[in-house]
Amino acid sequence: MPTITLDAISKQYSRQATAVQNIDLHIKSGDFMCLLGPSGCGKTTMLRMIAGLEHLSQGRLFIGDQLMDSPADGCFVSPEKRGLGLVFQSYALWPHMTVEQNIEFGLRLRKLPERERRTRTGEVMDKLGIASYAKRYPSQLSGGQQQRVALARMMVLKPKVLLLDEPLSNLDASLRLEMRAELKRLHQAFDTTILFVTHDQWEAMTLATTIAVMSEGQLQQVGSPDDIYARPANRFVAEFIGNPPINQIAADSTLGSRLNSQPDTHMLGIRPEDIHLTQAATPYALPAKVQGIMPTGGSWVLDLETEGQCLQLSTQIRPQVQAGEHTFCQIQPEHLHLFNTDGHRLENTRYGQARIIRNNVSTTTYMHAV
Amino acid sequence: MVGWITTALPNKRGLQLSLKDPATLLGLGLLTTFSYLILAPVISILMDAVNVNFGDSTRIGAEQGSFTLYYLERVFTSPISQRLFWQPLLNTLSVAIGAMCIAMVVGGIMAWLLSRTNLWGRGWFATALIVPFMLPTWTFALAWTTLFKNRSMGGQPGWLESMGYSSPDWLAYGPVPMIFILALHYIPLVILLFGNALRRLDSQLEDSARILGASRSTVAFRIILPLMRPALMSAMVLILADALGEFAVPYILGLPVQYDTLSTSLFRAISSRQTGVASVLAGAIMVLGCITLTIDLYLMREARRFVTLGGKGAMERRRPLGIWRLPATLLAATLFIIGVVLPLLTLFLSTIMRIPGRFHLSNFTLDYWIGTNLNTIALKNGILLTPEFWSATWNSLRIVGTASVCAGLLGLLVGYVVTRTPWRWLASSLRQLTFMPYLVPGIAFAAATLSLFAVQRGPVPALYGTSMILMLALIADQMPFASRAGISAMTQLGKEPEEAAQISGASWLRRMWSIIVPIQKGALVVGIVLPFISGIKGVSLFIILAVPATEVLTTYSLRLVDYNYTQAANAVVLMIAMLAWGGTILTQKLTKTGLAQGLES
Repeated sequence: MPTITLDAISKQYSRQATAVQNIDLHIKSGDFMCLLGPSGCGKTTMLRMIAGLEHLSQGRLFIGDQLMDSPADGCFVSPEKRGLGLVFQSYALWPHMTVEQNIEFGLRLRKLPERERRTRTGEVMDKLGIASYAKRYPSQLSGGQQQRVALARMMVLKPKVLLLDEPLSNLDASLRLEMRAELKRLHQAFDTTILFVTHDQWEAMTLATTIAVMSEGQLQQVGSPDDIYARPANRFVAEFIGNPPINQIAADSTLGSRLNSQPDTHMLGIRPEDIHLTQAATPYALPAKVQGIMPTGGSWVLDLETEGQCLQLSTQIRPQVQAGEHTFCQIQPEHLHLFNTDGHRLENTRYGQARIIRNNVSTTTYMHAV
Repeated sequence: MVGWITTALPNKRGLQLSLKDPATLLGLGLLTTFSYLILAPVISILMDAVNVNFGDSTRIGAEQGSFTLYYLERVFTSPISQRLFWQPLLNTLSVAIGAMCIAMVVGGIMAWLLSRTNLWGRGWFATALIVPFMLPTWTFALAWTTLFKNRSMGGQPGWLESMGYSSPDWLAYGPVPMIFILALHYIPLVILLFGNALRRLDSQLEDSARILGASRSTVAFRIILPLMRPALMSAMVLILADALGEFAVPYILGLPVQYDTLSTSLFRAISSRQTGVASVLAGAIMVLGCITLTIDLYLMREARRFVTLGGKGAMERRRPLGIWRLPATLLAATLFIIGVVLPLLTLFLSTIMRIPGRFHLSNFTLDYWIGTNLNTIALKNGILLTPEFWSATWNSLRIVGTASVCAGLLGLLVGYVVTRTPWRWLASSLRQLTFMPYLVPGIAFAAATLSLFAVQRGPVPALYGTSMILMLALIADQMPFASRAGISAMTQLGKEPEEAAQISGASWLRRMWSIIVPIQKGALVVGIVLPFISGIKGVSLFIILAVPATEVLTTYSLRLVDYNYTQAANAVVLMIAMLAWGGTILTQKLTKTGLAQGLES
């Protein structure tokens, strides 16, 4: 299983339109990596460059030790020779072929004897649970079934690397859950390196072993899902990941200066689940007014106003307050994310100290909430 | 285009990669081909208009090939210009505008009745009223002469004449019948274009206006009409453009009373070997065509602004006609009788009657179809036993068929290149180049082709008189439709199915053969059959380019008209109508698409 190495790659469509800018990325073999970013951030372009459907403008691309694309060296290996699998967002099944013929097509190109073709096609169809549709045409299948055929079509070739473009975005909610589990299982079963692209943070969080967050053609942060959520490298990542989104407080506002005294800080971030309601004036408690309460099923999102600032709080515990009531909210300094004027993360120096307080706080919060 | 230059030119790699790209290579090939087939003839004829032509050097007093304004002066300002250009222009415009007005009013009413009301037999009329569009225009012209021809022409008299009523000249020939016949021909076009737009109109738009308190008439004038304006204007312009190049109807109904239109004037100039004058006239027709179609393109761009409106609420809703239901249905039926039954029946009856207009059993005969040793100077056998008829049929099928297959395939390839090449200038120039013949009425394009291929140029021998020249001209003439069909099919397909095959390891040829062509089978059939039908019934290209050896059905029937073998000519026209109609029905069956969709794409 090869690694994929992107060495300072860029893609320009015209002088004005730069899709991908100077990206270094190393995808380890066996990794399940996700490229995450809002639409138009260049993540699909990256995927297509790795597949060879787009040419690099600058930089070098390796799969394993082999140089695949490098404008400087005049090297370009065409997609059909890269031995990759790519599942398109639209699935791109060939409408004039049956499920079986779709899956078999690649094997035919490789001139495999019919016997082997049949066994391999049968195997992969069994594994993905589509054997009973073998004779149907793509138009007679549901979205989820089509998606599995698209996967099977690539899996049957046993590619070293499998690329998935927004694999779940065309499915309805329940199917999406099902396929998410399936993909995770397949990653283990087929033992391939998988790189997938999505704009859905939940998909990324639940599936990937490593997430690369992209914005405007640039790589923002690469790390494990936990890392990216807990220690966002900059304001973009902090804002993009998390639902409801992180609360942002200007460091020079009344609330901001009360919460933080660390120099160079421009903006403070606090995750909605890190704000807690209390009814007494504990050390870190601030007076707040509840503006509204939105139940979201298992949890609740509260709109608070404190020190002239609107904050969102989310909790798994049923809030004991009503809209319009005055109460206290508690923000622990060690939970604050600090960013400088460039939007980069600053280390929170209260981090260590706050650890200790944390235990007390959680118990008090619990008490008050109950 | 700017984008391409800035990125691809500075680094050589862009160029290298693009040159390895099959789509770009193919595109360059196609660009060369079409430059030769389409652009070169047009340039050649424009050159002929300002250069001294063969045989004119003594009259003009300049050497052959040198620059001259003689032809322009002759056509536009000389004393003869009135007969050569200005009168025909006036005639053309009055016929075109007259036909357009009638077609718009009648067609508009019919479209509304068919798509928005509970007319009896709506489904049936929706197909039946389109039939005149599938018939060649001069079917009607011949039917008209069969009925109304008077003594000012030789040959067999019309039915009215032989029944004792002499029809006046204004009824038998000239603008009145021409306008009437062309209007009949274009009504279906209005029904199609306007009806489609009406059907697509979201009925929620009407509903919301009604809820806001608008009366029926306010809704009609303030909501529906403004929304329909682009479709209406577009239909008007298309009719004008098409009528400008119409040849067969003025040839049959105008010439006997010296009522020339631009196309017949051009035809006269060509047949009297006045190449320079013909070139100027062809240029003038092209300019007129360009003007009208530029207006159309502008209107279509306007229309696109409205496209987003088509919501889910576009459900079919019909308005009950109440006591008007019967009269409205009768109106539709009358239109069908006048537009389809009457002309076809007249033509058919005329082919089985010895003396026109005498409905007596002894007067009926099948001799003109299958008789032998008839008492005529030439054409001693019935039409079905005449070898020339069969050779003309074979020529029609062979020439038009080959050209249509080529055009269909080329159209798909153009679509492929336009959607795939990274060179945007290549895509847009191919698109525009293949669209160009649309701006040039057939008769002018035929003249242009003739001007390029009549003599040997470089390695290309003189092609005049061969079926090759007809095929080339037909291919070029059919490219606008074929390439539009190809482009829209390829745009709908998207890149991904092909890319998926590429990822699976398929080479370019393999992808074309196993993925693109099979998926586009339906589009390809439409792209071949529809040009085939229009080619089979087309006149203007053949009348200029065909010679007796390459005679096709259309020119054969016109020649029979010239020789006054009325029955035979009508029989041939009926055969053409059958071919065209049958072909259309077959396409609809094969592709399961209505004709409406086919015309629109």
